[in-house]
Amino acid sequence: MAFVQNFPFMSIILSLFSGPLCSVLDGKRARRVNAAVIVIIGGMSICTLRYVISAGRPYVYRMGHFPAPWGNEIRVGVLEAFMACFFCAVTLLCMLGGIREREAQIEEGKQNLYYVMVNLLLCSLLALIYTNDLFTAYVFVEINTISACGLIMIRQTGRTFEAAARYMIMSLLGSGLLLLGISYLYAVTGHLLMSDIRQQVQTIAATGQYHISLMVALGLMSVGLAIKSALYPFHAWLPDAYGYSTLSSSAILSSLVSKGYIFLLVKIFYRVVGAQVVRESKVVNVLFVFGIAGMIMGSLSAIREGNLRRMIAYSSVAQIGYIYMGLGLATEAGSIASLYHVLSHGATKSLLFVAAAGLADASGGSDKYGDITGAGFRNRLAGVAFTVGSLSMVGMPMFSGFISKLLFAQAAVGHTHKMFPTVIALAISTVLNAVYFMKTVIRIYTRRPMEQAGGSGAAGPSPDAGAHAGMPGTESLPGAGRQVSLWEQPAKTAALLCFILLNLILGLNSDPIVRLIQSGFEMFE
Amino acid sequence: MHLEYLLNNYEEAVAMILFGIGFSNLLLQKNLIKKIIGLNIMDTATYLFLALKGYIADRKAPVVVDGITSAEAYINPIPSGLVLTGIVVSVSVTALMLSLTIRLYRRYHTLDLDEITTRLRKEGK
Amino acid sequence: MDALLLVPIALPLIGGAALLVSSFRESVSGGRRGPGAGEAAASPHWPWLGRYVAAVLGISVVSALAAAWTGEREAVLFTLLDGIPVYFRVDALGRLFVTVASVIWMLAMLFGFVYMRREGKEKRYFGFYLMLYGILMGLYFAGNLVTMYLFYELTTLASMPLVLHSGKRESIMAALKYLFYSLCGAYGGLFGIFFLHRYCGSLTFAAGGTLDPAAAQGHEGILLIAVFAALVGFGAKAGMLPLHAWLPTAHPVAPSPASAVLSAVIVKSGVLAAIRVVFYIVGPEFLRGTWVQRAWMGLALLTVFTGSLLAYRERVFKKRLAYSTVSQVSYILFGLSLLTEDAFAGALFHVAVHAAAKCGLFLTAGVFAYHFGYTKVEELAGMGKRMPGTMWCYLLLSLTLVGIPPTGGFISKWYLAEGALQSDAGAFAWLGPAVLLLSALLTAGYLLPVAMGGFFPGPRGSAEPLERREAPPAMLLPLVMLAALAVLSGIFPGGLAGYASDIAGAVLSP
Repeated sequence: MAFVQNFPFMSIILSLFSGPLCSVLDGKRARRVNAAVIVIIGGMSICTLRYVISAGRPYVYRMGHFPAPWGNEIRVGVLEAFMACFFCAVTLLCMLGGIREREAQIEEGKQNLYYVMVNLLLCSLLALIYTNDLFTAYVFVEINTISACGLIMIRQTGRTFEAAARYMIMSLLGSGLLLLGISYLYAVTGHLLMSDIRQQVQTIAATGQYHISLMVALGLMSVGLAIKSALYPFHAWLPDAYGYSTLSSSAILSSLVSKGYIFLLVKIFYRVVGAQVVRESKVVNVLFVFGIAGMIMGSLSAIREGNLRRMIAYSSVAQIGYIYMGLGLATEAGSIASLYHVLSHGATKSLLFVAAAGLADASGGSDKYGDITGAGFRNRLAGVAFTVGSLSMVGMPMFSGFISKLLFAQAAVGHTHKMFPTVIALAISTVLNAVYFMKTVIRIYTRRPMEQAGGSGAAGPSPDAGAHAGMPGTESLPGAGRQVSLWEQPAKTAALLCFILLNLILGLNSDPIVRLIQSGFEMFE
Repeated sequence: MHLEYLLNNYEEAVAMILFGIGFSNLLLQKNLIKKIIGLNIMDTATYLFLALKGYIADRKAPVVVDGITSAEAYINPIPSGLVLTGIVVSVSVTALMLSLTIRLYRRYHTLDLDEITTRLRKEGK
Repeated sequence: MDALLLVPIALPLIGGAALLVSSFRESVSGGRRGPGAGEAAASPHWPWLGRYVAAVLGISVVSALAAAWTGEREAVLFTLLDGIPVYFRVDALGRLFVTVASVIWMLAMLFGFVYMRREGKEKRYFGFYLMLYGILMGLYFAGNLVTMYLFYELTTLASMPLVLHSGKRESIMAALKYLFYSLCGAYGGLFGIFFLHRYCGSLTFAAGGTLDPAAAQGHEGILLIAVFAALVGFGAKAGMLPLHAWLPTAHPVAPSPASAVLSAVIVKSGVLAAIRVVFYIVGPEFLRGTWVQRAWMGLALLTVFTGSLLAYRERVFKKRLAYSTVSQVSYILFGLSLLTEDAFAGALFHVAVHAAAKCGLFLTAGVFAYHFGYTKVEELAGMGKRMPGTMWCYLLLSLTLVGIPPTGGFISKWYLAEGALQSDAGAFAWLGPAVLLLSALLTAGYLLPVAMGGFFPGPRGSAEPLERREAPPAMLLPLVMLAALAVLSGIFPGGLAGYASDIAGAVLSP
């Protein structure tokens, strides 16, 4: 056994145990430990990825040396390792981007607890990605929920407590259903390891026995995970939770936490139950319909929203809808498109959150829609980053969102029943996305009326003087806005630049990534 | 026939009914404490279901006494293990929910989540 | 890999982006100053900005023309998705569009140097103006459908800031409307591309189409729907019904040189996309005689007529010109939809003629707005006495657009009518020329009275003192050149017509 094969297990354990370590350190040290742990885990994931790619097939890592039906297992394929790399990278960037906000919004002395939560969250995400055991998956789903709740309520305001309570309630409903589904599946198949369940399910499906039980189990698990990942209409908690928690939390929650559940669902579909059974069940149709409803309703809510961060949060509802629509197609191409969108949305949504914080920073800390007018001039990088994120969300070529839109449509073309609904929903949702994102982009690049008045008020009497008044007028701004330079928060600048780069890589060089997902997906079988 | 089927498997039926009660309480109750009670009923119902699935009639709990080591004498131990793990999870989740409830109560002096939301809307923008 | 092909795409993009973040001095944000103030500000506040823009654009234009006219070239940038590279190639059609756009771009830039002093924010304007040129070159040199789509979307994005230049609520709403229509349209195009990707041998352009008959066997119905969606979608940018409504909103609010290039060049990108899809991917034979051809002809003719009628009733000068664009570009689309060689050649000819004429007309509108702040048609009475040079240019350009010999418009419309009569399109063969004639009369009805009123104001106009105030040379020169081009293309049509016929022969009887 190669030493590299230990890495997935070690990364889970490392992040689990660095949690308690952070709890005894002070805030600053905890931050460094946390960053170091993420970097190490990212490095280990890259090694694992390279190993799996060169090996060409997945491997199973047995925990505690118990043989198959009893022991707990980790199963690592290309897709798992790649997701782990991606999650580490996005977590690191989200943490980098939100340093200033964390320092301002989290009580002194509780800062280290934040890093405990982040470590736990990363640990549970990695476990969700790697595990080959359904019950272990359930346990880590709960750990994920608890740590995510911690991330929301660490900024102690009434809003976040309320949001955390709502988040917990919805999540618990979801995990209750998930647990019941897993119990059902266990009762039918007698196994908890995914590969064993798969064999049993295939024999059961071949004989036609326990059809209803199987469908009930599949339905319960899908609905449970759908609720947890905020599929419309279970999204009520989402805007508050994303809109009022501290910046890193919003970014991590939106781009990673819900994606962990979705990845688990993909695993349940294609590794536990098997593509054939999933395709024949009606469950995917339900997911498809709600996905499309989410795409449209999420965007409509976002259009009505007057707060920038809540708007981005509502847009998440729409994007989750995309992913479920792709899963609902129940084809390999559809699932690959969904998985690509997991990456694309993960990279874009966290970029938007960090950029929105930058814009708010330049507008006196307010992220109300009216206050961010002209913020793109006051914080140049955040403006550019927000524009990039918006264009990606709208699905402009060159950015990651375009590729996922392309993949979704390609997956839909030729599908017997779902082709037209998908294509039309994509069209409507593209236009709706454009409505609110481009509206915002134009707004951040429109100078405030008073700035204009200030500039040309001085220039009014003599047109010649105006030429000189124009420039200083933009430098000394009246009111809440202030100029934010690139070097003021180097970490945030770096994070934004990396996010933009990530987005461009996903948008321009998607071919190898899609191939990677494809080969990883084939390893599921 | 259906009724007979149900009566023969009355334990499962009870577990499902309990799950339904717990689920709807967690979803629909306004009072946070009642929600938490609903959560516990729901979890317990699942454990009941799991335990039932591991139970084999006329056999004992898988604890070796009197030197009997044949697997034939005992029920399936895995569901019991799962139930134990599940209980640990649900205890921690309940604790978290309760602490959250305390926080909210201290701040707003009410346990009604909807009222808290309304109040937040009013005081907020 | 041919680096020369990438220069005209990359250089303006980089140059424009650099200009956006540069620290050149601008004249004060304008729009608030009263009419007539333009000349007061005509002293060069920002010579370096002008020189920079002229240098970047000049080098780009020279390299674009050099790349286009010196032999076959191709370049692959990178692979976007499985088997779909971002790929550029020079071909005959691209050459024509590159040349037209380059000429228009240079002239409108010259005009803009003066005009934009009134509007202010020159950095933003010329920054996006330069970037747009690079994007257009990418669009014209695109060698496959996906590359073309990529640059088509970017065209929308980069031209949007030109529309919302003034930053007033009205112009922002217009820009958003433009964006949504274009996005809807582009999505229709994308929808077509998805299907074509499935059924066509390759998405690389080849004269006569690349449709794989074996793969398309049994899927004709859905493929026709896809092509129709693409035509309507790309038609949005060309102002074809039913997605035409953005054009009369967006053009009038943009600064005049911007509306000139929008109307003359950007709108044609929809035409180019339609040509590429129909004649270079699907192949004309697949569409001949189908409901898609009839529907396309019907929509184009309807647009020709409706556009003229609306222009005739419109009182705001630039809006009238915008409706006229709606109508005239659909001449081109109608010519394409006939699928005959003559009509195709006529359509290409009209691309060039309309570009020159409409650019010129919008620039005259710019002259009037710049000097007097006049926007309404009635206000232009007596203008021929004040600015005879401008008005003469206007008259010549109008005659071109109406199609009176010996101007270029006559040649293109002649080809179009002849192509229609030759075609086997049933009722459209005679309905087409009839509508074209009717619309030409309407065109005369909405364009010429302005010139008449300009030269012979009658009792109403003569009340005002009419001192001569000719436009400055930098504004007049582009006008004169455009008018000359429009007329000369009719007097010496041989080169252009021959070139267009060659393309038509290549795509229609390969």
